[in-house]
Amino acid sequence: MEEAVVMKNVCKDFKVLNRHEGLKGSIKDLFSRDYKTVSAVKDVTMTVNRGEIIGYLGPNGAGKSTTIKIMTGVLEPTSGEILVNGKVPYKNRTENCENIGVVFGQRSQLWWSLPLIESFKLLKDLYMVPEKEYDDMIALYRSLVDIEPILHKPVRQMSLGQRTLSDILAAFLHNPAIVFLDEPTIGLDVSMKSKIRELILGLNKEKNTTVILTTHDMGDVDALCKRIVIIDKGMKIYDNDIDHLKNYFGSYRTLKLKLADDTWEEMLIDEKTTDVMDVIMEKQKEKKIKDVKILEISTEEVIRKIYEGGTK
Amino acid sequence: MRKRGLKFYMSIYRKILIQDLKSKMSYRADFIISTIGMIMTNLSGFVTFMILFHNFPTINGWDYYHMLFLYGFSLVALTPVQCFFDNNWNLRFMVQSGDFIKYCFRPVNVFFYFMSEVFDVKGLGQLAFGIGTIVYAWIKIGIPVTPLVILKLIVFLFTASLFMIALMNFAAATCFWIKNSGYVMVIMFRFKDFAKYPSSIFEGIFKVIFTFLIPIAFIAYYPSLVILSPDNVPVLSWISPLFGLIFFYLSYKFWMLGVRKYDFTGS
Repeated sequence: MEEAVVMKNVCKDFKVLNRHEGLKGSIKDLFSRDYKTVSAVKDVTMTVNRGEIIGYLGPNGAGKSTTIKIMTGVLEPTSGEILVNGKVPYKNRTENCENIGVVFGQRSQLWWSLPLIESFKLLKDLYMVPEKEYDDMIALYRSLVDIEPILHKPVRQMSLGQRTLSDILAAFLHNPAIVFLDEPTIGLDVSMKSKIRELILGLNKEKNTTVILTTHDMGDVDALCKRIVIIDKGMKIYDNDIDHLKNYFGSYRTLKLKLADDTWEEMLIDEKTTDVMDVIMEKQKEKKIKDVKILEISTEEVIRKIYEGGTK
Repeated sequence: MRKRGLKFYMSIYRKILIQDLKSKMSYRADFIISTIGMIMTNLSGFVTFMILFHNFPTINGWDYYHMLFLYGFSLVALTPVQCFFDNNWNLRFMVQSGDFIKYCFRPVNVFFYFMSEVFDVKGLGQLAFGIGTIVYAWIKIGIPVTPLVILKLIVFLFTASLFMIALMNFAAATCFWIKNSGYVMVIMFRFKDFAKYPSSIFEGIFKVIFTFLIPIAFIAYYPSLVILSPDNVPVLSWISPLFGLIFFYLSYKFWMLGVRKYDFTGS
């Protein structure tokens, strides 16, 4: 079995009450059966292979969380087929849960008042992890990250970074086939971010764990993902290697000009349609230019372009 | 898939409970204050009861010690809901904030996992108080102590607590459908106060409501009749254990239906 997740034409609709304005409208709503259907996920087909780290991206409200909830078995899709580790997740929720780990950004899933090590022991029992595997995992954690300072600390006393770290470690503890990380680095400082990225990479390499990562931080994507899937308004709009994406926008350059008053001006230029030199000359007529930099387009800008315009 | 049976759940619950108690003890001030509060609550309830029933020596043929027995019975019957199912009170906040979803990611029963998170120590004081009251009333009434009567008492206390747990499950689970479910819970919780009185004082429509619709009459009245008037036990008392099991099962199913139907909107 090579595929961790297989989705075929998965759709998810929600029923929402049509709300009317004003007091009269509110009273009307009380008795109204006037529902409209909102499609959160539209006809998404994709495959995630074992051991892959994929970046699952999209603007806010694009349907990322809904997809993750479908994959984790919490929500049942309205139509379409889905297999996670070869099983239908919403029909076998508990079974599916044995083989997945989930981290939801700022929401800790650990016991708030317990020291981390006690949480680990409870999780070990909950997932029925054999003693040997548990010890090996803790040893692996020790080799990847310095867990001593947090091991005996109650979760409620931890900093956000330590809590996120703990949550990620807890999600990998039962050696699941797939781990879902929903914005794991949100709100963290730079050094903690890189620590967490290294940890994820290390665990993925050691255990061949499939990681499905949603994030708004392109640093995460650059550091971790070879492949990205982008979804917008519930539809998949991109699914390919990250390098391919850059080639796609390969003719784009970021032009940075340092003007006479020492301010930098930045613009994105498509070399196919506009000549960079023309732009510089044009600018020079208005103001004196002290310095020029031409940069390749960054992932962040590529993603922004896709969100704004879509790929054709 | 590894099988998770009753033994597994019992052992997990025990482990979570021990950890929970350990961490509760570490908040010493909190622990002491809540213990004092619990004693005061029970004491004031008891005093109110005393004053009331010293002035009305009998109610509908129930004398003081029978009333006291009923009171103690209801206190004991309300202990399990207080101790083991107290997290129901937090359900609507968790559902509204979206935090509830975390209970769906573990390979165990969602209802169990949710309830296991909170054990309310305060219920233990209530239990001690209730047992004391029952024993005192028992001696005063002069009910013979035989293994059979003790067995009956335990079975019917268990039955009674099932009804209360089920009522709170129903009330709490409404939050999956309606926003202001807090009211439903508070109303249900208030209703339990009626359980302390013999339901024979309720007439007509109230009797029907409290027997079949919101079955608080089963929290103390019907089950305790088995002990108090062994010669004249209504049929409803005898079948109450079965009723209790069915009612609890339905409440559990309703709760789980709520989990399944809920959208988990927002991220």
